[in-house]
Amino acid sequence: MKQPETTSLVAAKGGKWGYTWPLWTALLLHLLAVLLFTTGFLLTRTELPHRSHCSDVSHSPCLSTNNGSCWTKPAANRLILIVLDALRLQVLKNVASERPLSARIFKAVADPPTTSLQRLKGLTTGGLPTFVDVGNSFGAPAIVEDNFVNQVDNGCIDHLLPSLYEEDWDVLIAHFLGVDHAGHIFGVDSTPMIEKLEQYNTILEGVIEILENHSGPGKPHENTLLVVMGDHGQTLNGDHGGGSAEEVETAIFAMSFKKPLSAVPPEFDSCFCQLDLLDFAVTVSAMLGIPFPYGSIGHINPELYALGADSWNLDASQKLSESDIWMQNYANALCINSWQVKRYVDAYSASSAVGFSDDDLSRIASAYAQAENHWSHFTKKLLLDIQNDSDTLVPALKRQIDAYFKFLTTVSELARSKWTEFDLKMMGTGIGILLISLVFQFFTILRANKQYGETLSSSGDSWVITSSSFTFFLLGIRACSFLSNSYILEEGKIANFLLSTFGIVTLRQSVIKGELLIESIGFLILSTFCRFAIEVGLSKQAATSAFMKEYTSWIVNIASGLPVWDYAAEVVPMIVLILLIAWLYKVTNGGRFGCPWKHVIMGTILSYMLIIMHWITESNRFGVPLMPEHIGRNYIPRIVYAIGLGQLLLLGFGQLFKKNCLDYKENLVAKTTAVVSAWSSTVILLSGKQGPMVAFASLVGGALPLSAHMLFEEFVLVRQAILLAIDTFGFSIILPVFGLPFLIATKYQANLGKQFLFTQLSQVWGLFAPKFVFDVFNLILTDFLICLASIYYFDQRNQGKDDPEQKPSASLSLKPFSCGASHVSRAYFMRSLMRLKPYSSEASHASEAFFV
Amino acid sequence: MDRRKSSKETTSSKALTMVPSPPISASEAFIVNTLCALVLFFAFWIANTLYSIDLVTDPSLTLFFIWITELPTVTLLFSRYRQNRQRCTYLRAVGRGVLGVPVGALLNLLGAIALGAPVTSQYLPKTVNWALMMSLFTTVPASCVLGSSWTDWRRIFAQTKPNGSIEYLLCLPAHGAVIGAWFGAWPMPLDWERPWQEWPISVSYGAIAGYLVALIASLGFVLACGRPQHIKRE
Repeated sequence: MKQPETTSLVAAKGGKWGYTWPLWTALLLHLLAVLLFTTGFLLTRTELPHRSHCSDVSHSPCLSTNNGSCWTKPAANRLILIVLDALRLQVLKNVASERPLSARIFKAVADPPTTSLQRLKGLTTGGLPTFVDVGNSFGAPAIVEDNFVNQVDNGCIDHLLPSLYEEDWDVLIAHFLGVDHAGHIFGVDSTPMIEKLEQYNTILEGVIEILENHSGPGKPHENTLLVVMGDHGQTLNGDHGGGSAEEVETAIFAMSFKKPLSAVPPEFDSCFCQLDLLDFAVTVSAMLGIPFPYGSIGHINPELYALGADSWNLDASQKLSESDIWMQNYANALCINSWQVKRYVDAYSASSAVGFSDDDLSRIASAYAQAENHWSHFTKKLLLDIQNDSDTLVPALKRQIDAYFKFLTTVSELARSKWTEFDLKMMGTGIGILLISLVFQFFTILRANKQYGETLSSSGDSWVITSSSFTFFLLGIRACSFLSNSYILEEGKIANFLLSTFGIVTLRQSVIKGELLIESIGFLILSTFCRFAIEVGLSKQAATSAFMKEYTSWIVNIASGLPVWDYAAEVVPMIVLILLIAWLYKVTNGGRFGCPWKHVIMGTILSYMLIIMHWITESNRFGVPLMPEHIGRNYIPRIVYAIGLGQLLLLGFGQLFKKNCLDYKENLVAKTTAVVSAWSSTVILLSGKQGPMVAFASLVGGALPLSAHMLFEEFVLVRQAILLAIDTFGFSIILPVFGLPFLIATKYQANLGKQFLFTQLSQVWGLFAPKFVFDVFNLILTDFLICLASIYYFDQRNQGKDDPEQKPSASLSLKPFSCGASHVSRAYFMRSLMRLKPYSSEASHASEAFFV
Repeated sequence: MDRRKSSKETTSSKALTMVPSPPISASEAFIVNTLCALVLFFAFWIANTLYSIDLVTDPSLTLFFIWITELPTVTLLFSRYRQNRQRCTYLRAVGRGVLGVPVGALLNLLGAIALGAPVTSQYLPKTVNWALMMSLFTTVPASCVLGSSWTDWRRIFAQTKPNGSIEYLLCLPAHGAVIGAWFGAWPMPLDWERPWQEWPISVSYGAIAGYLVALIASLGFVLACGRPQHIKRE
């Protein structure tokens, strides 16, 4: 059925670029779209290099303290800050109830994203972190902005109690990570979590006891403030990062060891204390009497500040009551606070390209001017005049404090909206370009289809229509399901559901045609296997958690009881691998393979064998060590990688010195097998023992179109539809992820209040942003691989005179491979992430990070 | 193309050579469908009034009521329209219908597990009862009417080419139940934390809804294509 017209048509398009340029264009379009979208989606905040200094305060209109302190009167000499990573609110209550006045518990509200580094950064700088910082969590660079701690070194839990007796520190910070990890791995209600909390309770009790014993007059801890806090909360199953109430709410327990102050004005001392973690940095700075961090936008929290009120009684020569003095001090501190925030806002909008709008700036300025006016014309005079009694002073002070509060809340609200809102224009352009590229790809495929669809019988039309409409329907569902975060959480299950649906429909079609029955049944069975593998992998992680217990499948129950299942878990992958070896061997013996490809496949067989050896040496079940352990651990993987590299090089050289031989079809098959097998060993080794299962599944899945390609001319059209679908598949994942925050942002901005928008946005951050990052990575990688592969495969055709209609199909047939690869790689990524967790947690269980 | 056409011809010629199932008049089809639907509601009524349970509170028992009441209805009703009346007695048709119950249940069970149904022991009774119910919606009527004729099964369920009014009654409700169940699975992963999101409640609701809709739709098809046959029968 070859038609000479098509041959000339194709030849006229000019070599391989005629076929590959759409792919490269798609890559470029994607890159552009992603770049634009990312700049709008991942918000950044410029960090200013400035620092606050003691002398700065003389520029402020406020009363400066002349008794040696820096910005404010110090309320505490020393601070012990114990940060419990991921402390949920309920933990600390009993300690506080024993000491009602000198200690109090705050419900602290953090700003999402609730990952530790962001929170620590936010805690110490008093600013708002942005999502981009999440990436830094893994590298943990020092916080470069000005903060109230000079970060020094790590230590461990043993150092905490001895340090309490020493005199050579002012601020002691202990950061305990165990709660976080216990929560991550076992969930909040699990036994390890409770054990961990009890351990912390003992430590805390010890700390408090020591401090109380040394808190008398003249003793080292006379003026010490103890703060125990979490940097973020946790959800029920121990995760954090998002903006749900459980995640952003944590506790702060503050305690001073002096005679408690009984008389803080009631309006600043509500029983239900709530503290925004944004305010923490500035409040602590105020209590220590050090300069406030330059970039802080919080305000001094009255309740926490009240804990240190006692130490100002020295100058009690006035006839004012304690609470009035406290208010006086507080007003002055707020004055400095406001001045500092104003200074930061001015400096920020002057230096940063994406600062506040003029509108916002004028609002801030007017609020500040109002408060400032009141201060300099009214309150300041009152304060300087000692003769005033409380009747005139107190109302004025209250008004003053209110004015400052108003200013400070305006600023922090504006900052929040600025640093947590997306740049809609940029995102819109990105999505637009992405849509264009989608349309472009669609037309490319249509064109390719037309070029070579002519050669086939017209009866395929209805097939194309039915099967492509079905696949598009499935894709549409998959795309829409990403609009919901619960679907993203259950992504593995959903993907499996759709995959199995696809398998069932394929089975139905193969029943109709009476062909490929075994392959499609095998596909279905393998997808079922995949499903169980995922389930077992999930439930093994969380088997101890009460939250996950209901999901534990019976397989795990049995597996924990019987060693047979453990055996099976280790032996089955090996058997599958041996099957793969046998299959490959059979294929190479078929004699269709040219020289380089055969060697490549032999290399793969060799590395498969090495992998099996590696597994045997790794597992301690087989008793007899075949070789010294370190050789098995270290050298086998390296050898496998080396073989893989060698195979790729061989393929490249084979490409250069190729012989113009063979039938094109067989050549294509040989090449594909060689390339796949060259990659597979490395992938299998990396992905561990679930690898061969998936490799087998993908091989059978690949065998479906491949064998169809060789055997049934008719089937090709169905395959085309599938290809089209799979091609868009990769897209349909990205597109809604791109589109979603856009939708949410536009929809809610118009209708609902800021608060709601904010929670929505933080949800976007918590869930969609990581997904976005990985999907984008996948997309670009896939594109790139497709382009590379297209070069590789199309090189051949410059001189080949073989069937022209195979060429577009060749390019298209690559896409499912790489798309499937990207899909599998995502599954791998998630699984490997899960597998990594226990290791990292073991490590971190042992080492509690500890700064001094 | 040629191959496809020829295969179509062969199947149609085969269908011609076989003794077709007797055509069903619109009124009969209406009675059959109404009875199927009524029995379904009857099962719900029993569960609700006598045992004061429903699909949400006790899914496995309710599903059990559904399939145990549907079983006699479906087998007795559809065996009347069996193929090859000369060779197959009424009782034999009923017998192969009953035989079709576990087979269809097994198929449905495997399908559900492939699609992600839980296999925990606590879900086992629910899953089994659900599969039995699905079997009565899908395979049992067909096994009563068609017996073990693979070509007919293939034609009706794989190619969706029902031929004659009775086959609409087999084909459409079965497809409706399966598609309804498939859609019924969609609310399951949502985080609404409603009790009916559990397996197999929403799936059963979807299946029943799809089944009922398809019953009505099949009536329409029978009406549309049944007129000439009705006359032929007279």
